[in-house]
Amino acid sequence: MNNQLIPLRPVQPALIKLLLASCTLLLIPHIANLKPEFIAIAFSLLTWRALVLRFPKVMPHKFLLLPISLALALFVLKTFGMSLGRDASSSLLIILMGLKLLESRSSRDIQAVIYMCFFVLITPFLFDQRIEIAVYALIIFFMLLFALVINNTSGASLKSIPLLRVAGMVLLQAIPLMLVFFILFPRMIGPLWAMPDDQAAVSGLSDKINPGQISNLALSDKTAFRVRFKDGAPKQKDLYWRGPVFWETDGQAWTLTPPRKSSFDRAQTLPANNDDYHYTLMMEPHQQFWLYALDLPSSAPKNTRLTHDHQLILSQKLSRNLSFKLTSSTQATLKNLSKHDRTRTLSLPSKTDPRVYALAKHWVTNSTSNTGVINQALRFYNDSFYYTLRPPSLGKDPIAEFLFDSKRGFCGHFATSFATLMRAANIPARLVGGYQGGVYNNVGNFYNIRQADAHVWVEVWLHKTGWTRVDPTAAIAPNRIEHSIDASSQRLNGDVHFLLNPPEGLRKWAQEMTWIMHSVDYYWQNAVLAYGPEKQLDFLSQFGIVDWGDMIIWLSVFSGVILFMVMSTMFFTKTNNDPVQQAYLTLCKRLAKRAGAREHHETADDYFQRTIDSYPHIEKQLLTVKNLYLNARYGNGIKVQFLEAVKNFKL
Amino acid sequence: MSLSLSQRFSIKRFTRGEPANDTTITLNHRRIFILPSKGGLAMALVILLMLVASINYNNSMGFAFTFLLAAAAQASTFYSYKNLSGLRISMAKSPPCYAGSSGTMNLLIKEPDERERWAINASLDKNNTFNLRRDESLQISLTIQPTKRGWYYPKTITLASQFPFGFFRAWSPLRFKQALLVYPKASDTGLTLPVNLNDENNGIISSPQSGTDDFAGLIPYQIGHSYRHINWKALAAEKGFYTNQFNADQSATIMLDWQTCEHLPVEGRLSQLCYWVNRCEDNGYIYGLHIPTADISPSHGHRHQHACLKALALYE
Repeated sequence: MNNQLIPLRPVQPALIKLLLASCTLLLIPHIANLKPEFIAIAFSLLTWRALVLRFPKVMPHKFLLLPISLALALFVLKTFGMSLGRDASSSLLIILMGLKLLESRSSRDIQAVIYMCFFVLITPFLFDQRIEIAVYALIIFFMLLFALVINNTSGASLKSIPLLRVAGMVLLQAIPLMLVFFILFPRMIGPLWAMPDDQAAVSGLSDKINPGQISNLALSDKTAFRVRFKDGAPKQKDLYWRGPVFWETDGQAWTLTPPRKSSFDRAQTLPANNDDYHYTLMMEPHQQFWLYALDLPSSAPKNTRLTHDHQLILSQKLSRNLSFKLTSSTQATLKNLSKHDRTRTLSLPSKTDPRVYALAKHWVTNSTSNTGVINQALRFYNDSFYYTLRPPSLGKDPIAEFLFDSKRGFCGHFATSFATLMRAANIPARLVGGYQGGVYNNVGNFYNIRQADAHVWVEVWLHKTGWTRVDPTAAIAPNRIEHSIDASSQRLNGDVHFLLNPPEGLRKWAQEMTWIMHSVDYYWQNAVLAYGPEKQLDFLSQFGIVDWGDMIIWLSVFSGVILFMVMSTMFFTKTNNDPVQQAYLTLCKRLAKRAGAREHHETADDYFQRTIDSYPHIEKQLLTVKNLYLNARYGNGIKVQFLEAVKNFKL
Repeated sequence: MSLSLSQRFSIKRFTRGEPANDTTITLNHRRIFILPSKGGLAMALVILLMLVASINYNNSMGFAFTFLLAAAAQASTFYSYKNLSGLRISMAKSPPCYAGSSGTMNLLIKEPDERERWAINASLDKNNTFNLRRDESLQISLTIQPTKRGWYYPKTITLASQFPFGFFRAWSPLRFKQALLVYPKASDTGLTLPVNLNDENNGIISSPQSGTDDFAGLIPYQIGHSYRHINWKALAAEKGFYTNQFNADQSATIMLDWQTCEHLPVEGRLSQLCYWVNRCEDNGYIYGLHIPTADISPSHGHRHQHACLKALALYE
């Protein structure tokens, strides 16, 4: 192949500026993701290149560039080791991109820089795949395509409209083919190579509950998961989303013990019931092993297992969006309590404060049943406790300090202290972490469960009803709630002051807008981001495509059809859509019988002059038609008039 | 122009082009070929790497943008094709040149479809890159280096373009029937200009300058007069174009004869004669040529010079 076609032309400064802008835009989404030193290095390389545009003398010599490149590569190696993880590869790529742009002299170098930019373009998605970032990336994608076009047309201006159009048209024509590939390209499960565990931020509840811990979540507006009910939804107050179940405490924190094999073996699925709720749950990646479900999940969906305390355990940490089809019952209870479980749910650390035991004993002696004890405990909370997201910090024995001194706290404090009290009163109790409530989006018909909805409650075992949910936080007197747990309403409650309170209509409108945005996000997550191997098979099996072979066949068929369609729009002769021009051409054809065909170089004036020689008897008519045509096509004449004249024209 | 089946599948169509039959070639799907360029293969590698990364992290947006890039590369082939298709190419008149020195082949390229064409590369011995605006006709001069005298048939001229992204190279090999006349190399071996001894003004010719001294007066300029003989002084005095007239009788009539340089090899003779023809024409002599294949009676002027040089170029 002739390789002289990308000659070593010098690069025009305008193209360098376009690339500098694109690279800067590429770096921006990484600012939050990567270590600041790498972002700083990449930006300084870009700045250096920008300075070269101004002062050509500061262009680094290749003997200077080589050690710089080696030093930077070593720096990356030293920071991340030999691992080729997400952070390491992204950092390396942005630095290489900067270096290559810095040393670019010819259009061939620029071509390489643009290729690297395309790779860098997909790296932010390894951290975050929000729709805004996708749209942002699409804009950069267009800029890069345009840069390629400019680079391959010698010395074209950046303002060239035809070239902008070419880049835009290519992008538009690429989208259908991309969609076909996106839907039909066989997805594989699991990584091709073992990924080093990048410290992907664990979000939501962790496997340890300290009394004071949940408050970090309470202000987060981020989505934990979304739920769409098939038929009806339970009442808002019954929306307890069950997550990890905590059995063990050391007096300070409650820790999750990984479920053993026997726990899975003893798990019992609940019988189907007419009152069951069927729903789809879209889980955001939370880097944990468990799944959330409405109290109580009847059985385990695909890829998960049920434990005997009805937690849903995934086969691996959830690192991507996945959706699950679930069935839950709010009526059923778990009645079994083995001896071993009984001792586990009654044990308290030996250093537990004697006042706790005394209080529990007081309640037990004053009531006839366990239910009575629970009611007394709840009344105790109702009488003198305050709900606040900013409780005083607690010391070594948080339970006793909370119960007898500070009396201020939130769900973490209430649940842990309540469970401790119950155990002291010889009632089996365990802690359940999860979420409560959710914001219903009536645009998209789904519930949005946010991190702010994180909650902890208690399950106690009673003879009659088995494991029963008790939420001590709900027992707090409403007038003692110092802060709502809802972050946005908290802002309204006075943490943030508006100079002017937005009028009611505006607030409603803003609410509507948020709902719509949440809906868009829901579909994005559910339809696009969660489209993995499982969902692909689910979706395609509806059309009878069940394995890779089918996918590849249909992939080729659809690609072929799309290519043919694009080709036909581009190459088949354009039909003339101007009625005036069409009428004129048919008229010319009629006149051609005697006057001869209109030559290509002949104007209307010339041709009609010629036709008058052949049709002298209708000279006047011909001249009128001609004038009408010229006016309609080039002047301000009325088109219909000309069309009428052609219609009534008689030879 | 239809092709036979064997011609249709001949590999030569891809590299050398179809046999030269037409004077004007319109580029169409039969003439334009397209294959990935080096840059395109590199892009394929980048797409593959992006795909591997997307699979590894099971990243939906990674997939989406990888496929978008691949689809854009695919769509760009249409634009590569469109960039060349429809162009009408013909040979324009090209001036003769001398063997051993560079000459030009002129190519006329017409854009009939009201589309802009970008970064098209025409190559024969050297490359020449150009853009075409809508409805534009452009004459491209391709430099050639003929080594032999006689008719020069141009090799395959290739029009190629990597527009728009440099991923694919669309090209069209073209061959034309028209040939370019190449004169022999003009070189002086040091022989003195042969003088016709039968001439009355014997001896005057020994000084080659003398012919121009015999000024006979001015005549009004006519097209065809040598510009060397224009009376520039008269022009500068705003009297108009006049040509210096030399007395024909006093000017020398020189017969350039094949026999004169008998001791030289054939090509050397032709080169020497070629040099003399140019020398005589430059000096305004009246000269004739006598070689075994041609006999040209004495005259002067560009047409005469061309006739002489053509006879020399096509000797044997």
